[in-house]
Amino acid sequence: MATDPIDELRRLPMGELVTVVNPDGRRWHGRLVPAHELSGDRIIQLKLESGYNVGVRVDPGAKIEHHPAPASSTEKRLPVERPPTAPSAPASGPVALLTTGGTIASRVDYQTGGVRPVHGEREILSFFPELEQGGPVRVVRVLDKLSEDVSRDDWVLLAHQVEAAFRSGAVGVVIAHGTDTLQFTASALSFLLEGLPGPVVLVGAQRSPDRPSSDGFTNMAAAVRVAREPDLYEVVVVMHAGLSDDQWAVHRGTRVRKMHSSRRDAFATRNEPPLGRVANGAVSWEQARRPRSGTLLAVTKPPDGRGALLWMFPGLDPTRAAEFARTLRGLVLAGTGLGHTAQEHLAWIRAATGRGAVVAMTTQTLGGSVDPYVYATGRELLRAGVVFAGDMLPETAYVKLLWALGQSDDPAEVTRLFLADRAGEMVNRHTDTGAVG
Amino acid sequence: MKAGLEVHQQLATAKLFCRCPSELSEAVLGVVRRSLRATGGEDHLVDAAAAFQSARGLIFRYEISPSSCLVDLDEEPPGLLNPEALDVALTVAMMLGARVLDEVEVMRKIVVDGSNTSGFQRTALVAVDGAIDVGGQRYRIDTIALEEDAARRIDGGAHEVSFRLDRLGVPLIEIATAPEITQGAEARAVAEEIGAVLRSTGRVRRGIGTIREDLNVSTDGGARVEIKGVQQLRLLEKYAGVEEERQRRLLEVATELRRRGASVPPEGARPVTDLLREVVEGPLRFRDGWVVVGLRFRGFAGLLRANTPDGPRLGRELADHARSVGLGGLLHSDELPGQGIGEQLLVRLRRELDAEPADALVLLAAPDLARAHAAAYRVQGRARAALDGVPPETRDPLPDGTTRYSRPLPGRNRMYPETDVPPTTIDAARTERLQGVLPERPSATRQRLAADFALRPERIDQLWRSGEVARFEQFVADGRTANNVARLLTQELPAAMGRLSGDGEREVSDDLLRALLVALERGTIAKEAIPPVLDELLAGATSVADAAERRGLVGVSGDELGDMAGKVVAANRELVLAKGMAAFSALMGDLMKEVRGRRDGKEVAAALRTKMAGLLASEGRPT
Repeated sequence: MATDPIDELRRLPMGELVTVVNPDGRRWHGRLVPAHELSGDRIIQLKLESGYNVGVRVDPGAKIEHHPAPASSTEKRLPVERPPTAPSAPASGPVALLTTGGTIASRVDYQTGGVRPVHGEREILSFFPELEQGGPVRVVRVLDKLSEDVSRDDWVLLAHQVEAAFRSGAVGVVIAHGTDTLQFTASALSFLLEGLPGPVVLVGAQRSPDRPSSDGFTNMAAAVRVAREPDLYEVVVVMHAGLSDDQWAVHRGTRVRKMHSSRRDAFATRNEPPLGRVANGAVSWEQARRPRSGTLLAVTKPPDGRGALLWMFPGLDPTRAAEFARTLRGLVLAGTGLGHTAQEHLAWIRAATGRGAVVAMTTQTLGGSVDPYVYATGRELLRAGVVFAGDMLPETAYVKLLWALGQSDDPAEVTRLFLADRAGEMVNRHTDTGAVG
Repeated sequence: MKAGLEVHQQLATAKLFCRCPSELSEAVLGVVRRSLRATGGEDHLVDAAAAFQSARGLIFRYEISPSSCLVDLDEEPPGLLNPEALDVALTVAMMLGARVLDEVEVMRKIVVDGSNTSGFQRTALVAVDGAIDVGGQRYRIDTIALEEDAARRIDGGAHEVSFRLDRLGVPLIEIATAPEITQGAEARAVAEEIGAVLRSTGRVRRGIGTIREDLNVSTDGGARVEIKGVQQLRLLEKYAGVEEERQRRLLEVATELRRRGASVPPEGARPVTDLLREVVEGPLRFRDGWVVVGLRFRGFAGLLRANTPDGPRLGRELADHARSVGLGGLLHSDELPGQGIGEQLLVRLRRELDAEPADALVLLAAPDLARAHAAAYRVQGRARAALDGVPPETRDPLPDGTTRYSRPLPGRNRMYPETDVPPTTIDAARTERLQGVLPERPSATRQRLAADFALRPERIDQLWRSGEVARFEQFVADGRTANNVARLLTQELPAAMGRLSGDGEREVSDDLLRALLVALERGTIAKEAIPPVLDELLAGATSVADAAERRGLVGVSGDELGDMAGKVVAANRELVLAKGMAAFSALMGDLMKEVRGRRDGKEVAAALRTKMAGLLASEGRPT
């Protein structure tokens, strides 16, 4: 039985030189590259001699010829000329660079056109050649995940890796991380790590480093710069501070939030100005940094997964919400305005707190505090046992609650830990910092 | 010589990957500054052209425009490939008998000169293997692609280059011919014919800069050189000729260098700043903080200077490479002594650089040592290439018909898939729908125009080339005179657009053009008045009368013209009676001083002749 030519083509290794002659006489010649996930039926992708990729429909009667993959490109490898760099500053101790995957640690494969993770210290440092200007950088590959796949267990793994890095002499730690859930990981590390002897800097990229315009290059350089700062003993996020490549903001790990799906300045500190800025290779501080704690460097007990975050929206069925909350030890609500829900939710909330679950209130506005005293709803929620979380961001409050649940089985102790300042997650004084947003 | 053409035409649709209008604007809403780097690393090839640009370490300043959005700023992923623009490209492909692809894949072409905020240009091959007939000969068209235009360069210095984002993302159709053109004149004819096909779709932008050509020239023993971004078709011929000659000369130079056993020593440039402290004039006059470095090329003496006044010079080629890193140029020993450097100093320089009399010296002045060495590295590389003949490269076209080195030729390594945009499958329904409304082919249009209108063949030629056939037919159907309409649309209007400074973004509405034609037919304005009236209309005049008035071109009626002619004849009565009709020229000059632009010259002459004949007849003189 004759085989379908498309099956024959699909069995060939990528990079193979093939000629497809369709029954109508149309002839295509090129190197086989992976088809796009959204390519049409019976379409294969060929890279033509010109460098263009084209989609070719393979008819059942098509004739296929294939030739072994050509020897590597005859084009000469050209050394990349780099502009002469300024004499390096006096070297400081090593910075540990932990990689976890995500946009910042990916590159395009020119053979297949796919984006793949960057592997190995040599490759990463070849990607970011200026990183070692201020001292050595040691690369540790921890994970290879998109940030949406980073789990609670990964937070713990990262915390232990940070601890290990400091113990082996790093002056600071940089964690390259996908941006989607960067704020969750930043919060988790803020709560899990105690007695930090230096900075932990999370950094990401909104544009992958295969693009000449990637923000990853300069974000990474700024992050390493911050990781070499003396007198910084907390978890921070360093990303672009505007659309130009000239300023980077240092955000406190518990106050930062991704506020745009694509802009390079997507990350913002909520409710106060950022902790500091990097410009012209120097760091300036705009807010008080947390002093070094007296405790020894350690990782606390892990967070407990029996907690959740629920966005309260008009029309949410109380039965459905009650079912969602039924087996939880803790629940953070993102309420409306000053921290409200529809009256019809009071019953199940009362039931939840009654059986010992910790229910906390935050606001969907992502700016300002919750306040239970202004409206009757707030007062009723308070009476129902809801804990009001000040201006803690919903995501930060969720991570903090999981952490608190992990530290104690006693709801009162969990509530106490949840409300106590641990990593600057609550701001008690709000000043006008310009426009809302 | 073998040459190929790439024609780039902007489309009059929304931008290719966003919903921004494809309109240029002078408004600047904000500014961002960025840097770009050539990507690639240890085990991957970096495209030569990309590495070259990246090494310059430039800051790019982007002006945000009402015609730009976050996509143009590289702050938002691109949208889907604009279906309207794709339809225009498919239409053109079918008109050129090309094979349309089954599925169109968008690629990223690395370009780090700052003209694209992303560091790449998005481009998609749409069709292959077309052809076009010009002057009885068939030229193959290898590829038809759809791509985004680059940002508009506003100005540039040694450290920062400014671009405006209005033009970035405007759809371009790129049509590339096979390298089958053997003469400059052919290149122009092929470009014109392709332009006519593009315009026949009625969906292309018009005006200066909306169509640009790249000319690829190769010669026997030479190399492929791309002259990029030619905006004036009439210069294509000149560029081709100049490039052919440049390559021929470079090959001669290479032969001579080999005969002499010339070489470029591997060691880098040596600082000679201290030797030049007493230089007070010329490009190397001593400046505080500046450094001067010297290079020596074995056996190159006498070959850096032009052997004819306008011939290509190796010295100029080397200087172009020094300029490519932001230096003003260089001095070489073929032009020394001179330029502030005396015989004695030259001897000392030669000694310092270990140069024999047969060697050439090159001196480079720069504000810092790093830049001086960067320039020296480039210059040395170019000198080395001279031993082999012609280096392949990209060159910029200059308004005088010559070209200047711009950057290395990009290779295949700079293209990879645009993963943010899904492929577009071209189904039969789409091609059938477009086939059903395919514009008339230019050859058919020409035949029809010849059959339907009493126009001179050159006029017909101009008409279809201009892409104005549709408007022409409309105006003629409204009752306007074919010849007037054709002249207005193919000559007077394009000429007026050409006189506009800037980007030629203004236009005259069809209603105003109709009114202008009516005024011409009624004699309220003269043929001669059309250029100034068009200029005023482009400058914002609201009506033909308003435009004519601004230039003092209010028409002269037949009666008034008769009276004015009568007065001129009366004033020159003795002259007319003495010389008869031979006095016509003198009187015509006087009369035209009064009515120029306000009445057609032929009518003025006729009126004058009538009055002169009247006088002569009344006096019984022969006419």
